[in-house]
Amino acid sequence: MKIAFIGLGIMGRPMALNLLKGGHQVTVWARRAESMQPLLDAGAIAAASPTEAARGNELVISMVADAPDVAEVMRGVAKGTGSGLVAVDMSTIAPAAARQIGVDLAAAGVDFMDAPVSGGEVGAIAGTLSIMAGGSDAAFAKAKPAFECMGKNIVHVGASGAGQVAKAANQIVTGMGVLAVAEAFAFAAKNGVDRNRVREALLGGFAYSKILENHGQRMLDRNFKPGFKSWMHEKDLNIVMQTAHELGLCLPGSAATAQMFNAMVGSGMGEEDSIAVLKLLERLSGQE
Amino acid sequence: MKVGFIGLGAMGRPMALHLQRAGHELFVWARRPASAAGLPATLCATPAELGRHCEVVFTIITSSADVEAVALGSNGLLEGMAPDSVLIDCSTIAPDAARHIASKLAEKGIHFLDAPVSGGTQGAIDATLAIMAGGDAAVLERVRPLLDCLGKRIVHIGPNGAGQVAKACNQMIMVAAIEAAAEAMRLAAASGVDCAKVRQALAGGSAASRVLDVMGERMVKRDFAAGIDARLHHKDFGLVLEAARKSGVPVPLTATVAQQLNALMAQGWGKDDTASLLRVLEA
Repeated sequence: MKIAFIGLGIMGRPMALNLLKGGHQVTVWARRAESMQPLLDAGAIAAASPTEAARGNELVISMVADAPDVAEVMRGVAKGTGSGLVAVDMSTIAPAAARQIGVDLAAAGVDFMDAPVSGGEVGAIAGTLSIMAGGSDAAFAKAKPAFECMGKNIVHVGASGAGQVAKAANQIVTGMGVLAVAEAFAFAAKNGVDRNRVREALLGGFAYSKILENHGQRMLDRNFKPGFKSWMHEKDLNIVMQTAHELGLCLPGSAATAQMFNAMVGSGMGEEDSIAVLKLLERLSGQE
Repeated sequence: MKVGFIGLGAMGRPMALHLQRAGHELFVWARRPASAAGLPATLCATPAELGRHCEVVFTIITSSADVEAVALGSNGLLEGMAPDSVLIDCSTIAPDAARHIASKLAEKGIHFLDAPVSGGTQGAIDATLAIMAGGDAAVLERVRPLLDCLGKRIVHIGPNGAGQVAKACNQMIMVAAIEAAAEAMRLAAASGVDCAKVRQALAGGSAASRVLDVMGERMVKRDFAAGIDARLHHKDFGLVLEAARKSGVPVPLTATVAQQLNALMAQGWGKDDTASLLRVLEA
């Protein structure tokens, strides 16, 4: 398939590479020209703008930072194409913003799908991302071969915005999950108990989770390199809290968790992995 | 003095009347002209037209976007107000929005004060509002005689935006206190104890507060008709949390109270008083 890929950051670059490996023809554009080079070396075609990237392709994929970036890129895409194009945004943005972009693009004859991912840089490189898609059946069918090059667990969640709702739900679970494991470890340590053994014991019971296993191990190793940066988790939880505010939805646990990530960003830990919340807990309880 | 007033709601209407009674010539604009009915004022067709008539203009409307539209939008105040005139915005909006409006007006030599108020409808009627001003101190002194018609405690907090920061702090403390009062009333009732007597006893001790006095009484009487619409506190908490996020300041209690306000909105009590936080605990 002829695919345009826009946004070649930590996530976008390996995802675009996996499309090339899957035998697709890939045209790329990125705001910083130098980030296009690794893709051009691997056989991708360079475009000078989102408009040019979209021209002549069947599928456009974007992976950028935030809703205003997605809207701007997609405005360019809409200019570069006649109707019938499918445009998929895999960034994490607010569900309401995704729905609005979908409405705007429908007016230009472009079928828009939100398809945010979970699995981090490791999943992007390995092609094992979870992909949560929202949009029409036709758009999903069109994008599916591309999704299969980038991910493993691919779910068409529902209509436009539904993918972002699922991603926000994912961030609620992972955000609180990381905080829960960190609190359990702080609790064990303050009680003078070996947290390695606590983790080992818990892995066999109902507290088992991937987060306890993977993030927990990294906490014990005190390996706070990202992974998933805490400022990004803060940004995603802000999407959750803003949506809850708009809907009139009571989310006390998410609110408390969001404030912990807010404190991390404020105290200069934004570039560290979100598991660095353990350090914040230790500081608050005099465990440094 | 020729004074303009925009935003003739539960707060704005009594404030405008105080200015008129103090001998000022009043010019008003209202999105719905009906809300200006019965006011001894000249009704203007647009904010720009109002701005052309007035030395000082007051606004007290709901959201950042509303204030920006009235001040900077087409037919907005910016188009009509003369250099060296003063816009005093008494709305509760984001500090960033206040700073943005101030800088746009300054390009044309128009002064701006963010001057949000606290004290509710009763404070507006009694002219006992607390006024928190952000902007140039000399400009505040120029318009202080007007503000004296509206409030008792008028404090210059700092430059533009500082008034809105103070208002955000005010809302954090007040609504958290309402939640604390609601939880205390709920615990008393659930324990089979007379809420009225608990409130009476507390009023004499270290837990005494204006909120316990006013909102506590509403809770005891189960009078949830607004004083201040809870939806406005819900809106304000959105602003507070956004400001905290931008500053990287953790506000765990505010965040928790915000969730109770979300639940209140979900129950459909947004136009009732914020004392309805008690009903959220009973739900």
